Amino acid sequence: MRATINQKLTEMGERERLKELLRAKLTECGWRDQLKAYCKDVIKEKGLEHVTVEDLVVEITAKGRVLVPDSLKKELLQRIRAFLAQHAT
Amino acid sequence: MSPAGCSHVNAYKVDNWRQNLRVIYQCFVWSGSAETRRRKVLQNDAGWTALAKSCICHMCGGHLNRLHSCLYCVFFGCFTKKHIHEHAKNKRHNLAIDLLYGGIYCFVCQDYMYDKDMEQIAKEEQRKAWKLQGVGEKFSTWEPTKRELDLLRHNPKRRKMTTNCTIGLRGLINLGNTCFMNCIVQALTHTPLLRDFFLSDRHKCEMQSNSCLVCEMSQLFQEFYSGHRSPHIPFRLLHLVWTHARHLAGYEQQDAHEFLIAALDVLHRHCKGDTTRDDNGKKANNPNHCNCIIDQIFTGGLQSDVTCQVCHGVSTTIDPFWDISLDLPGSSTPFWPLSPGGDGGTVNGESHLSGATTLTDCLRRFTRPEHLGSSAKIKCGGCHSYQESTKQLTMKKLPIVACFHLKRFEHSAKLRRKITTYVSFPLELDMTPFMASSKESRVNGQYQQTVDGLNNDNKYSLFAVVNHQGTLESGHYTSFIRQHKDQWFKCDDAIITKASIKDVLDSEGYLLFYHKQFLEYE
Repeated sequence: MRATINQKLTEMGERERLKELLRAKLTECGWRDQLKAYCKDVIKEKGLEHVTVEDLVVEITAKGRVLVPDSLKKELLQRIRAFLAQHAT
Repeated sequence: MSPAGCSHVNAYKVDNWRQNLRVIYQCFVWSGSAETRRRKVLQNDAGWTALAKSCICHMCGGHLNRLHSCLYCVFFGCFTKKHIHEHAKNKRHNLAIDLLYGGIYCFVCQDYMYDKDMEQIAKEEQRKAWKLQGVGEKFSTWEPTKRELDLLRHNPKRRKMTTNCTIGLRGLINLGNTCFMNCIVQALTHTPLLRDFFLSDRHKCEMQSNSCLVCEMSQLFQEFYSGHRSPHIPFRLLHLVWTHARHLAGYEQQDAHEFLIAALDVLHRHCKGDTTRDDNGKKANNPNHCNCIIDQIFTGGLQSDVTCQVCHGVSTTIDPFWDISLDLPGSSTPFWPLSPGGDGGTVNGESHLSGATTLTDCLRRFTRPEHLGSSAKIKCGGCHSYQESTKQLTMKKLPIVACFHLKRFEHSAKLRRKITTYVSFPLELDMTPFMASSKESRVNGQYQQTVDGLNNDNKYSLFAVVNHQGTLESGHYTSFIRQHKDQWFKCDDAIITKASIKDVLDSEGYLLFYHKQFLEYE
């Protein structure tokens, strides 16, 4: 089911549009800045000479998911639903 | 974390490595997102099919798990699932490139490496790809040049801006009924883009004499952001204003709005040194194409459409503006109804307390179609004769800072009085309903009642309010200005006090300054 939805979204360029929209909204609501600040904390904690990109990826992936505002999740879900309804075969 | 990479990266930099790396960046990293490639395959785009088909993990066929390309051979593998790691171990190929962000990973050092030469190539190829895709310049974080680093080292003093700091707030001494000037100065020194322009020393003066108002503004910003808390005495500014705007000279109380327009005009004229030069190195002297900071921030375009009632031909003109002057109910020109068959309802969530007029009402009245009447017939280009017509004003281009002037001072032939009708104004304003583009879609029958929440171009935030207390003959100007995100301060000449948002929104309002919420690159 997920694969078909993914394919439909990609085919019509909607996945790309949604990604761009998501990027812009996450920047606007300050999510990007929050995570950037968190990255700096992790680097300070682990030490600049020893921290690796993998360390950061592991630490911020979990935090990043949590920090996405619910309103944004709702908005995106609504858009996907609307798109699928519009293009149902 | 040095920009010299690691020994394994250095080992790669032999023979034709630059060209090889460029090809990888061009074809696989910056050639468009994974989505674009996927989409083109699904659409059976032959040219892309071959490319995209190869751009999947050679072990599992996926493309969404941080795909990496080996730098030593043609192999693509997922990072998350460690497929590329296996390849590196088996073939002893210890470098791979992240296809999403272009980073170079060294499997021996087990981290991404930064090599100055490789970064240079990556940046160049990215810019080329953006140009090809028609994207233009995208935002990239500031990286200081060598000179800037030297400057920073030689000037170690730093001023920290905390959330509660009062840097930027200073009182202004009243030099004899100069409160009309003081409140405008407060509004201007708290206009973020203007502040950034002056604090980064962007004005290059070309005036021989000492009477450049822009230089004086620059000095003023230095004073305001110096951290001094004592009130500033703006005698030089006052003197320059008297020199360049004679009609404002003298010790009588003047109109703050007139002062604002005069000040913007003089600043605009004195900004000649900062205007862009064309290809021959000659300055663009065309007043309609000035690119000075004043025009960049304050100039909008007002569209006027005159429609002939007979042939329905429309004649359009666009005029620049620095402010919008709005009529109020209670003046001698009738305010209600807003338009022939006008509609009600609030747009910007302002309080309609017992029928109080809102800023949106005033804007709707400003942009309503107006019958010009039989005594004011216009020569119609289509009919080749004088016909009755309707005229409508809409916003063609919105300025970054929109200033609304509520016409409280009536100077008609019979009477001179101040209109004190309360007009409620919002903290956040959406100008979409008043745009020329909105009007066109309405005309075409595509009227959008709900504002599209995803379009942020026309959203504005209040950042300064100038108020007038008293009568026409004797009155006093004060202003509210916004510091940081939610803190407001009242500026009464030399006295600055903290104010609540309620204080601001309950005030009468004479000049309202709104700043665009989201700024885009041109």
